[in-house]
Amino acid sequence: MLKTPLNKIISRVILTLLMTIFVPMQAFAQEEEPTNNTSTNSYPSDSAQAWLAKMSDAVKTLNYSISFILLKPGVDSQPYLWRHGVNEDGLEMEQLNLLNGPGREVVRIGNKVSYFEPNVPPYSLQSSIINGPFPSEFFQHPEKLMLGYEFIMVGRSRISGRAAQQIRIISKDKSRFGLNVWLDQETGLLLKMNLVGQDAQLLEQIQVTGLQVTKEPDPFFAKIEPEMLPEVVSFSPSSAINSPWTINYLPKGMTIVKRNLRRLSGLGEVVEYIMLSDGLVDISVYIQDRGNNKPQNNLVGTLQSDTLLTIEHGELNITIIGKLPANTANAIAKSIQRIN
Amino acid sequence: MSQKFENLSVLVDGEHCASTSSSSHVLDAVKNDAELQLKWKSYHLIRDGLRQELPANINFDIADRVAQALEAEPAILAPKKTWRDLPLVDRVIPFAKQGGQMAIAASVAVAMIIGVQQINQTDANQPFNAAPPILGIQGGLSPVSFDQTRAMPNSDGVEQRRRINAYLTDHKQQLRFKTMQLSNNESSILDQNVQNEEAQSDIVENSPQ
Repeated sequence: MLKTPLNKIISRVILTLLMTIFVPMQAFAQEEEPTNNTSTNSYPSDSAQAWLAKMSDAVKTLNYSISFILLKPGVDSQPYLWRHGVNEDGLEMEQLNLLNGPGREVVRIGNKVSYFEPNVPPYSLQSSIINGPFPSEFFQHPEKLMLGYEFIMVGRSRISGRAAQQIRIISKDKSRFGLNVWLDQETGLLLKMNLVGQDAQLLEQIQVTGLQVTKEPDPFFAKIEPEMLPEVVSFSPSSAINSPWTINYLPKGMTIVKRNLRRLSGLGEVVEYIMLSDGLVDISVYIQDRGNNKPQNNLVGTLQSDTLLTIEHGELNITIIGKLPANTANAIAKSIQRIN
Repeated sequence: MSQKFENLSVLVDGEHCASTSSSSHVLDAVKNDAELQLKWKSYHLIRDGLRQELPANINFDIADRVAQALEAEPAILAPKKTWRDLPLVDRVIPFAKQGGQMAIAASVAVAMIIGVQQINQTDANQPFNAAPPILGIQGGLSPVSFDQTRAMPNSDGVEQRRRINAYLTDHKQQLRFKTMQLSNNESSILDQNVQNEEAQSDIVENSPQ
């Protein structure tokens, strides 16, 4: 049996690693109701929570340029360039650019997000997040996931030629898809992300192909003239609605973030719209009184990585779209009831 | 004794990258040691458990069962040589086969002709076909009604597809506007109970002008 001193050290490290996996999980289990001001510093430095805090910090504060490829089943791969910088005034600047085809560019300066897309005049939105091809909300506020998901440290591996830390994120009640993220050991930035289904099949993948962290923001940002960006689109504030319907079942950690009556563009029909979110995925629920509409077929299917379910439920037509298993979508739809 | 277990544990944890030679030593040791093989199995099980990677139903000794199944399998013997394996016969058979296929094709054709004739004959015997056709009305109406019954389910499918597309487009749009809505009016995060108090409904059309 060969035994080098190095060997011994490594095995010690393993033991301590094992301990550190156990300890935070227990600590986490006790803390069922996370408060708003959770200081992530209280976690051990190599816990999943600490890693995700490192990630969100890096995403917001570093000057970086990341090339990644987004892969979805059934469609071509989509290469993106994602740049971020913080100028000397502390203003955050972010750019997301689809590199294939006619292009699609999103620029965020502070709280103004401007969209430049083919066939649509450019416009801006008031937002601190580009809700783009990846779950930006998760990158910036991973702590929002704590209610519904469990974080598990898996181990280290090599991704995009860099040392990476793998973290697995699974829903506590097994009602949603899981996520595997690989974070750069050095900076904490994302290197790879897999969205996996309940049978561990791959649904969506982001693979980073190039990562540069620089001291100064990319020169691209200096060329942007904030005054030249398109006007912010203003919406009439949506007023509260008095809905006769209630959703009785929501997966753990999922909340209603938006609810209004909308006229669907293209159809002209009025539907009640509810958006559910758990910090990682956003689900759209459309409730429509069947009334004198034609009966529709019950349908369930997947479009790329989105699940679409439309069913007749009592006197309603219910449609649910989002990245969630069809079972869960069905359970949500079936739980919709009239308030007594 | 515990030394070799420790080495194995280190290997299973994937932290043995420092020196490949020592990992191959451990692997050799595992190959030759039944006790280590048992540990190998349990270590992997423990690791999977820790990472929550355990499958829904665990089959502990698949390898054993496969081995047993293989033993129980009847031996397959090599087929004996027949007269077909003689070199000359080998060359003759394709011709014979082709001839056979031709014959089959021909007979199918004949059968089809017979079938068509039979259908025509029975058609002629049908009472409503034999009746004198009512000119104008029947000829004029029947194709239209046929077309209609056909078009109905078709338009339903198109209608539903249109609806689904509208939903999908709206979903994409909502995702984009989501964060903005949140930052604008936090009050849109409302409980249903709160909403009951304000009895007003408005239709909001959220599309950039």
